[in-house]
Amino acid sequence: MRVSVFGCELGGLVTAGALAQTGNQVFALPIGTGRVEHLRKAELPREEPGLEHLIQTQVKEGGLHFEEDWKKGVAHGEVLFLSMPSWRLDRAEEVIQVIGDCAEGDVLVVNQSSFPVGTADRFEAQIKLAFAKRGLVAKVAVVAMPEFISEGSAINDFVKPDRIVLGSQDPQAIKQIRDLMRPFNRVTDQLKVMSTRAAEYTKYAVNALLATRISLINELANNAEHFDIDMEEVRQGLGSDHRIGFNYLYPGCGFGGPSFAADVKSLVNTLQSKGYDADLLKTVLSNNEVQKEVLFRKAWRFFNTELKGKKIAVWGLSFKPNTSTVENAPSLKTIQAFVAQGATVKAYDPKAMTDFQKHWQGDDRVELVADMYDALDGADALVILTEWKMFWSPDYDLMRQRMKRPVIFDGRNIYEPDVIMEQGFRYFGVGRGEVV
Amino acid sequence: MGVESSNAWQALNAHCEQGAGSVHLKTLFSEEDRAQRFSIELDDLFLDFSKNRVSEETIQLLMKLARQQSLPEWIKRLICGDEVNDTEGRPAMHSAIRSEGRDVSGYALEVQPQIEQQFDKMATIVEQIRSGSWRGYSGKPITDVVNIGVGGSDLGPLMVTHALQTISSPVNLHFISSIDGTQTSNLLKSLNQETTLFVLASKSFTTIDTLSNAETAKDWLKEKIKDSKTLLSQHFLGVSTKPDMMSEWGIPEENQLLFWDWIGGRYSMWSAIGLPIALKVGMSGFREMLQGAHIMDNHFATAELEQNMPVLMGMIDVWNINFLNIQAKAILPYDARLKYLPSYFEQLVMESNGKSVNRNGESVNYKTCPILWGEVGPNAQHAFYQLLHQGTQAVMCDFIAPVERDDFDRNSHSEKDESLRYQHELAMANCFAQSRVLMLGDAAIPDSIKSQFDSPFKHYPGNQPSNTILLKTISPKTLGMLVALYEHKTFVESVIWEINPFDQWGVELGKLIAKETHAAIKTPSLAESFDASTANLIRRIAK
Repeated sequence: MRVSVFGCELGGLVTAGALAQTGNQVFALPIGTGRVEHLRKAELPREEPGLEHLIQTQVKEGGLHFEEDWKKGVAHGEVLFLSMPSWRLDRAEEVIQVIGDCAEGDVLVVNQSSFPVGTADRFEAQIKLAFAKRGLVAKVAVVAMPEFISEGSAINDFVKPDRIVLGSQDPQAIKQIRDLMRPFNRVTDQLKVMSTRAAEYTKYAVNALLATRISLINELANNAEHFDIDMEEVRQGLGSDHRIGFNYLYPGCGFGGPSFAADVKSLVNTLQSKGYDADLLKTVLSNNEVQKEVLFRKAWRFFNTELKGKKIAVWGLSFKPNTSTVENAPSLKTIQAFVAQGATVKAYDPKAMTDFQKHWQGDDRVELVADMYDALDGADALVILTEWKMFWSPDYDLMRQRMKRPVIFDGRNIYEPDVIMEQGFRYFGVGRGEVV
Repeated sequence: MGVESSNAWQALNAHCEQGAGSVHLKTLFSEEDRAQRFSIELDDLFLDFSKNRVSEETIQLLMKLARQQSLPEWIKRLICGDEVNDTEGRPAMHSAIRSEGRDVSGYALEVQPQIEQQFDKMATIVEQIRSGSWRGYSGKPITDVVNIGVGGSDLGPLMVTHALQTISSPVNLHFISSIDGTQTSNLLKSLNQETTLFVLASKSFTTIDTLSNAETAKDWLKEKIKDSKTLLSQHFLGVSTKPDMMSEWGIPEENQLLFWDWIGGRYSMWSAIGLPIALKVGMSGFREMLQGAHIMDNHFATAELEQNMPVLMGMIDVWNINFLNIQAKAILPYDARLKYLPSYFEQLVMESNGKSVNRNGESVNYKTCPILWGEVGPNAQHAFYQLLHQGTQAVMCDFIAPVERDDFDRNSHSEKDESLRYQHELAMANCFAQSRVLMLGDAAIPDSIKSQFDSPFKHYPGNQPSNTILLKTISPKTLGMLVALYEHKTFVESVIWEINPFDQWGVELGKLIAKETHAAIKTPSLAESFDASTANLIRRIAK
C-alpha cells in the first residue's frame, strides 16, 4: 500500500519504519523542525532502541522516503497518517487544509495523535467541505487509531501490540486499515473497532487510569513510611491479587515524559474548560508534581534544612530508563529545588544529558559528568532519579570512597535496604529504608 | 492667637457670610466652564472638585490662608525630612521611602542607602517565596502567607492586596489582626503547617494584639514541628523597627525586615510592612506602587498651590469643615475591590487629624478632623445614602471609580464579557447619578416626572458637596497615587489647623488600662477599685 505519515517524532518514525518494513511504500513528512536531510541519514530527534537501524535499513532498501512537500505526501498516500505531538494540533489543521485543497480522489486519514475528542470527526467534515467547494466527488474517511507505544520499547509496542484500537464506522476504511495492520495482528485478532470518539477517549482514559494508579501507589508508599512499613512487602501483597496485578505498581519519585503526563493534563484542561468534573485527575496531577520533589524533601529533613553548600550527586535525568528525554522528568524539579537552596549538583545520565542541558534553565551550579562515579566526588548524598540498569549493582566500595557521606536517596527503590545499609550507607527509598 | 483670628481666616469667614456659605450648588453650575476649571488631571488620576460649594474667589481666599499658614514651607520641610513630628522628635519620611532616590534632599536623601538595603533583602525573600524555593519544615514550598499585624501593619497591605485581587499570585495571602483570636483559630483550621508562613508585622514589636496572635500561631505550628529552630527559621518572618525585640522573640536575623521610627505606622505600607503586597504582585509591582506615590509626591512638592491636587482637596475640606460647618465625610468607592479603602482612610485621616490641641499644646477653638466613614458605593446606596439625601447632617463625599476594568478582555464580545462591561457601565452610571442628585437635589428631577415628586417625603434638598476621583484602572500605580493624595491632603489640613498629624497619643491610654483590666479579669478582686459598670462587666466574664 502507499502510505504517507505526517509527523517525524517518535510515533511517526516508528509507524513509517514498521509499515515500510512490511512492504508498504512509505513517505514520511516532518511537520516541525525536523529536516529531511538529517532524517534521511537516520539522524533522529531522540534516541530509541532499534529505531535508527530500522530507519537506516528502510531508507536504504527504498521502502521509506523522507519528503518535505506535503502536497507530494497527499498525492502519494492511499492512507495518510497524522502522527504528531498533542500540542501540534495547529500543524494537523494545516495538513487537513492541504488535503482538502490538493487531494484528487478518495481520502483515508488515520489520526494517531492525541488530539481532543471529536477532532477526527471535525477533520472529516472539513475535508468534505473543501471537496464540495472544489466540486470534487470522492469518499472521505478520517479514523482514529491512537498509538500506545512507550519510549524505550516503541518498535516492539507497534509491531506486537496488546490491541489496536480503531475508531471508525466506515466499513471500507475499517477493511483497508485491517489489511494494512494485518502483519501486526496475526496471533489473535487484536483489532478493537469502536466509534472515532470512543477511540480518541480510550487513549486518554488509559493514561488517566495509569497515572491515577501511580499517584495512588505513591501516596500509599509515602504513608507506609509513617507506620514503619516496607512498601515492597505491600507491593507483593497487592500485585498478587489478580484484580490488581503487578504492572504500574512501583512507588517512586513521580512520572513524567512528553506524552503521558501531557495527555492527562490536556484531558483535565478540556474537561475543566467545558465545566465538567475532573477533580480526581487534577489531584492525581498535582500529587505527582509534589511527588517529584519527594527526595528533595527527604534530604531537606535529613540535613535539617541546611542544604546550602551541600554537594549532591544525581544518577539519572531521563524520565525513565532507555530514553534520552527529560521532559516533565522529576530530575528538573528535584535539581532545581536543591540548587535553589544553595546546594551544588553533579549529575550523570547515560543518554539524557544533552536533553537535560536543553531543558535546564537554572544556573551553573549543576555539572554534568561523563562517568557515574565522577558524580560522587565529595558528595554529601546521592540522589537516584532513573532506574537505569547500570545503577542497580554499583561498586559500593568505590562509592563510599568517593562520597563524603554515604547517604543515598533512592527515588526508584532499586536497592535492597538491608544489603545497602550493611554496606555502610544511610538509605532512604520511597516507602522503603530509613524514615526521616 | 490661633489661626481662627488671622486675617486670611477672617476673610474667609466674611466671604462665607456674604453669601458664599449659602449659595446652592445648582446656582454655581450656571457658571461657564465650571467642570473644566474645577478639575485637575495628573497622570492616571483625574480629580473633579467642581461639585463643591466654592467659587474662584473661595479658592483664592483659601490659597491665601494656605500661604499665611506657610504651607509651601511645610511641604518642603515634610519632603526633605525635617522634624515635622515635633511631639515625638522625628521626621515623617513616607515620601522619602518611595522616592527611589529621586527628587530628595536633606535627611530624606541620607537615608536612601538603608531604604534600598531593606528593599533588596525584601526582594530576595519575596522571590524565594513566590518561586516556591522558601520551604516549610517538611520541605514543601510555602503556599499560604499569614500577615499578623494590626492598624498600620494590617490595613495598608489588606487594602492594597484586596484591591489588586485580579492579579493572580503564586501564594495565598491571609490577614489576622483582631486581638480576640477568632480570626486566627478560624483561619488555622483551613491551613497546613507544612506550607504556611507567618509574617509578624509590628512597628514596636510590643503590640499585644499581634504578639498574642503570634503565640497562638506558634503553638499551632508546634503541634507538627518539633525543632524550634526550624519552626522559627522556616515559618516566621518579622517586620519591625525593633530588630532586638524580633531576635528576642526568636526570629532569626535573616528573616527580619526593618523599617524606622521616621515612618509612621499608618504610612508604613510603603516600607517592608508592604511585604504582603510584594508577595501578591511581585517586587516590581510593589515598586510600581511606590512610583505611583512618587508621582504624587513630586506633584505635591512642585506644583503651584492653585494647581496642586492634595492642596486643593485639603483646602476645600477646610472650607467645608470650618466655614460651611460640615463635620462628616463619606468615602465611596464604586468598585468592590476597593472595599477596604474606607477603613484605610479612616485610620489615615482620623488618627492623623483627630486632635484638639495645636503644636504649642493649646486647645484649638475650631473644628479639626470630621468623622470619616464609608463603604463600597453601590452597597452603601442601599444603606446610608438615605441620610446623605434627606438627613439633617451635611456630609461631604468622595466618589472614587476606575475608568476601565482590567479583569476582562476589552476586545472580547462573549456574553459574559458583555455582561461585565454592562455592569461596569451600571456602576459608573450610579456613581455619577448619586453625586449629581446630592448636588442638585430636586433640580435633578426631569420636568416630565416632576409631578410624581410632589410630596414632602420626596423632597431632595441637594447641595451636598463632593469630589469625584477617576483612576485609569485599579493598579499598583494608581493605588500609590491615590493613597499619597490622601496622605498629603491630610497633611495640608493639619498645617492649616496647626496640629501635628504624625503622632497618636490618643490611642495609648486605652492600651495601658487594658493591661490593668486584664489583671482584674484574672483576679476579680482587683476590679473592686474600678467604677461600678466596669467592675460589673468584669464579674460577668471572669471565671
